[in-house]
Amino acid sequence: MRLRSTFNLTAALGLVLASLGTGSAQGLLDALSEAVEDPTLPVTATFKDTRIVNVQSNETPAEGVLHFVIAHRFGTLNSGAYELWGLDNAQMRMAFDYGITDRLALGVARNTYQKTYEANIKARLLRQSTGPEAFPVSVTWYSVAMANGLKAPTDINPHYFTHRLSYVNQAVIARKMNEDLSLALVPSFVHRNFVETTADAHDLWLVGVGGRYKLTQRFSINGEYHHYLTQQFEEGFSPSLSLGVDIETGGHVFQLHVTNARGMFERSFLAEPSGSWRDGSVYFGFNLSRVFTVKS
Amino acid sequence: MKFFLFTLLAFSASLLNAQQFMTRAGQVHFFSETPMENIEAENSQMSGLLDASNGGFAFQVQMRAFHFEKALMEEHFNENYVESEKHPKATFQGSIRDWDAAWNDGEPHDVVATGSFDFHGVKQDRDIAGTLLWNGKAWEIETRFPVALKDHHIEVPAVVKDNIAPVIDVDVKATLAPR
Repeated sequence: MRLRSTFNLTAALGLVLASLGTGSAQGLLDALSEAVEDPTLPVTATFKDTRIVNVQSNETPAEGVLHFVIAHRFGTLNSGAYELWGLDNAQMRMAFDYGITDRLALGVARNTYQKTYEANIKARLLRQSTGPEAFPVSVTWYSVAMANGLKAPTDINPHYFTHRLSYVNQAVIARKMNEDLSLALVPSFVHRNFVETTADAHDLWLVGVGGRYKLTQRFSINGEYHHYLTQQFEEGFSPSLSLGVDIETGGHVFQLHVTNARGMFERSFLAEPSGSWRDGSVYFGFNLSRVFTVKS
Repeated sequence: MKFFLFTLLAFSASLLNAQQFMTRAGQVHFFSETPMENIEAENSQMSGLLDASNGGFAFQVQMRAFHFEKALMEEHFNENYVESEKHPKATFQGSIRDWDAAWNDGEPHDVVATGSFDFHGVKQDRDIAGTLLWNGKAWEIETRFPVALKDHHIEVPAVVKDNIAPVIDVDVKATLAPR
């Protein structure tokens, strides 16, 4: 009995000393980390820009930020030295996107290709986040209406304004896998009010995959591919495939790429890519973006 | 006997907690001033712990909880400079030098915290001067200290060398209440 209480006393004193020991400086940081739960924080910069190459990324301009993009697609690389491998022959897209809030952006654009005008809306529905309420992916919605601005054809009568319109709706499901690798899955629905031939479908479903891999802090390689779920094209037609790099320099992001789609608006590069990787009729191009903080 | 020992244990534990002071809402502010551009950021989620029995002192701050005037600055800060995915927190662990329990007299005291400052995964032994005040309910701590980016292996590319100061001033303000 005596032995047991001595043992108890020793054990208890040991515990007292141990509990006092946790108050030492060495353990304070651990005690602090234990006491304070890490906050839930959204994952940022999944992609450097609002586009991967042609397709939208999950990113939107922040609240009060005007995102200005000048993009070019040159002629086909297989057009030879006379055309300087396509550089003599440029198509342009000029776009303004504005962040109404951190989660909602509105944009307008004008394309040389078919003199097309665009109006678009982009909304971050869900954000990937870490912490106690972690969420694995970001989901961003993108809807765009496009209007062909070419002079009315004389052989189609009557020709209504609605013939000029087409629409695309997309969900961008993106995940920053780690610091370097980000991936996106992009289901798209294309509707064209007017199609060239009776063989062309008005409605088209596609699923795209895209990604980027950072080689340095300010340089990444990017790629995207769009697979047709509804078959409607002739044999030999190439689905949209693009490869490129992102170069970040302070307030600018340069995206340089090669793609088989010459048009830079969604209907064109999803439903009607004009070139093919098989015969080298692909286009070199770039997107150059700059942000302006309009309202802080 | 057992009862006595448990009482002793419980008492000593509560005594210990009574001497610990804590915050979850400390303010951190930093400022980079160059002729080209001023950059500042705020974080109001610094957490800190002070052991008033011996002056032991620790704080931690989440890098991603710093907010800047411009969204692009915030992105560059996290992605390109502090690499907050790799190094999510900055911490300090040490003690307040020559700790004196009699400092709880309602007067501000100039103190120096000596310890290890861990930022961007690089630890530096630092002596950080500040003031300490017991306001009757809690300890108020205030300090300003410089952080040299070079010391913490933060690289600034040549093109923005003129926009980012090589030494950043950091202000910390916290009120640590009994835990």
